[in-house]
Amino acid sequence: MNRQGAGVVVLAFLAAVPTARAEDARKLLVESEARHRTKSQQYAGDLTVVAKDGKVRKKAWRSWREGYAGDAKLLIRFHAPPEVKGVSFLSLGRPGKGPDQWLYLPSMKRERRIATQDRDASFVGTDFNYEDMEEFDQSKFAVSLKGDETADGQVCWLIEARPEENAGKSLYEKKLLWLRKDILFGVRQDVFRKGEKEPAKRLHLSDVQQVEGHWVAKALEMTDLKKGSRTTILLQELAFDRPQPAGRFTLQNLNREGGED
Amino acid sequence: MTFARPAAASAAVDAFAAALTLVLLCGVPRTASGQGFSGYAEAKGFAYADRVTYLDPWVVGWQTLFLKQEGKLGTASYAVSGRAEAISSYERGPLVFDPADRELRRTPVSVREAWLRLPVASSVDLQAGRFFLGWGKTDGYSPADAFLPRDLSDPFADEKLPVWGARATGQFGTLRFDGVWAATTTPWRLPVLSGRNAPIDTSGAPVPITLVDGTSRPPADGFGAMRVLASAGEWDVGLWGRTGVRPAPLIVARIDQAVPTPEGYAIPTDRRFAREDAGGLEVSRVTGPFVLRGEASILSSADPELGHALIWTLGLERAFGDGTLLVTLAANARGTPVDRALLFDRALLPGLIVVWDRTERWGGWRVAWTAAFDHGDGLLKSEVSDNLTDEWKVTLGAEAPYGSRYGPFGARWASRRVHFAVRQSW
Repeated sequence: MNRQGAGVVVLAFLAAVPTARAEDARKLLVESEARHRTKSQQYAGDLTVVAKDGKVRKKAWRSWREGYAGDAKLLIRFHAPPEVKGVSFLSLGRPGKGPDQWLYLPSMKRERRIATQDRDASFVGTDFNYEDMEEFDQSKFAVSLKGDETADGQVCWLIEARPEENAGKSLYEKKLLWLRKDILFGVRQDVFRKGEKEPAKRLHLSDVQQVEGHWVAKALEMTDLKKGSRTTILLQELAFDRPQPAGRFTLQNLNREGGED
Repeated sequence: MTFARPAAASAAVDAFAAALTLVLLCGVPRTASGQGFSGYAEAKGFAYADRVTYLDPWVVGWQTLFLKQEGKLGTASYAVSGRAEAISSYERGPLVFDPADRELRRTPVSVREAWLRLPVASSVDLQAGRFFLGWGKTDGYSPADAFLPRDLSDPFADEKLPVWGARATGQFGTLRFDGVWAATTTPWRLPVLSGRNAPIDTSGAPVPITLVDGTSRPPADGFGAMRVLASAGEWDVGLWGRTGVRPAPLIVARIDQAVPTPEGYAIPTDRRFAREDAGGLEVSRVTGPFVLRGEASILSSADPELGHALIWTLGLERAFGDGTLLVTLAANARGTPVDRALLFDRALLPGLIVVWDRTERWGGWRVAWTAAFDHGDGLLKSEVSDNLTDEWKVTLGAEAPYGSRYGPFGARWASRRVHFAVRQSW
């Protein structure tokens, strides 16, 4: 092989590397989704919101999810503190697109639709916003493998995910995902706003254990790195694959007051 | 007709009795452990900058105890709530049994909700009892909400009243329906018509005039209403219709029955309730960061003092952070020849309502501006609250009606005020 031929081979190899990394990352995420997919999940969440000045606020909600990732339907009902009791949130996933979302406010006796570009709003005073409440759907992102890195003492795949333009608007330019190599379970996520080099927020998933045969993180902490505040959710009464009543994930049910579900 | 004003001592005794009664009925809140038990106690004070007569107090206090129990009985859900309050002004009524809020003044103890909801199919419910309704999708004026009773004892509080009746709600695919039958008329509760909350400014009259409560006989029957909503992609469409008694009264000043008083003349003011049929269309669409909304409604009444109306609204909603900016333009396209100042609900038309509220980590704030174009008057409201803890909250606010005294807000020029409230919730 002459020098010119060798150069072509090197260029072809270099060009193939990102594709291979993207394929690897996609395979990992698809495999992760296949392993951890559940028909449904429900839990009681105890939330602690700690502001930069150390002021602590407690909240509590019950959450029901049916489906997984892009086809997930989610209903959340707050039951503490009194100020937000009865506030409810419904998100109906649309595969490959942004979900439809509504918030029910008992004080107004009506639901409010969340516009796509409103999703930067804080979710009921927490460090999560409405986009953060969406299930991660790998099909809506261009992904690439960035190597491996240790998180929480576990060796992880580090994957970069950039929102696809045709998959609905996103607040974020990219997300960095840490996926545990041993169980392909996401344990950390850094999100970057558009045009920013430093992550805006960090989601840390810990206390990972098996419940009813499914891996789950029983503690989630979202830190707003700019505001210096953080919200921790402790998951209690976890249950998977329970049949969900027909009509639970509907606007009709979102508007129901006085019930527990 | 009555000129009597309750004495402060009497108010305190009644309020104490009312609160004690409610606490005994519902249990001591701090020790209650029942699931779904909630409530609050609030002390609120208003300080006014002006007054129309020497009888208008400079400072008014409202104390409220609200208790609510909600839960499930098998597959059915229920809620019961009650309120005990003490009001130092003459907005406070006597301690009477008034389960449907049909009395002119607020009784110190009242039932707010008492309903049972039974699912008859996976997405169809029947609800019966006393419940609140909210059909309008804006904080401003909505013709879809115009049939709902309101309590204007505090004319700037925008407080809804519940109704007794039955309701069927359901969803089939993307189609939802809501049918309501209100068994009896719960009338709008108006503020005391004399003094600073009078709906028309009488200070320019040749002789001092005071409007006093005359007769008010709300009809025994109520109204029926039906709404269908559909969602398709970014679009939401709603159709509604209603028929029955209009809960907002027509004010009839009985000048022929004017009575001389030491201060001038007292004119009895009767309240009539007209029947009205109405239908409406509402359309909204999510467009980028905005929700754009339009409503059109046809309202028809054989009563010549109410007449027909064609009321439309255009609205825009936008979230900013953890809050919402809402702008609503509303008008009556028909030149209905009635005295709008005495209709209360339509008095502000044509008008613009801008509401901006935001939840902050420390609490929240809200600014609202209502402008009535007819006379160039309006109302500015602002409020800021601080959540001291998850249970304790303090609120500071101000309300400032302004503009021409011939308009519905400008007529209440002496109601400019600040308020301060402390609330404990559980």
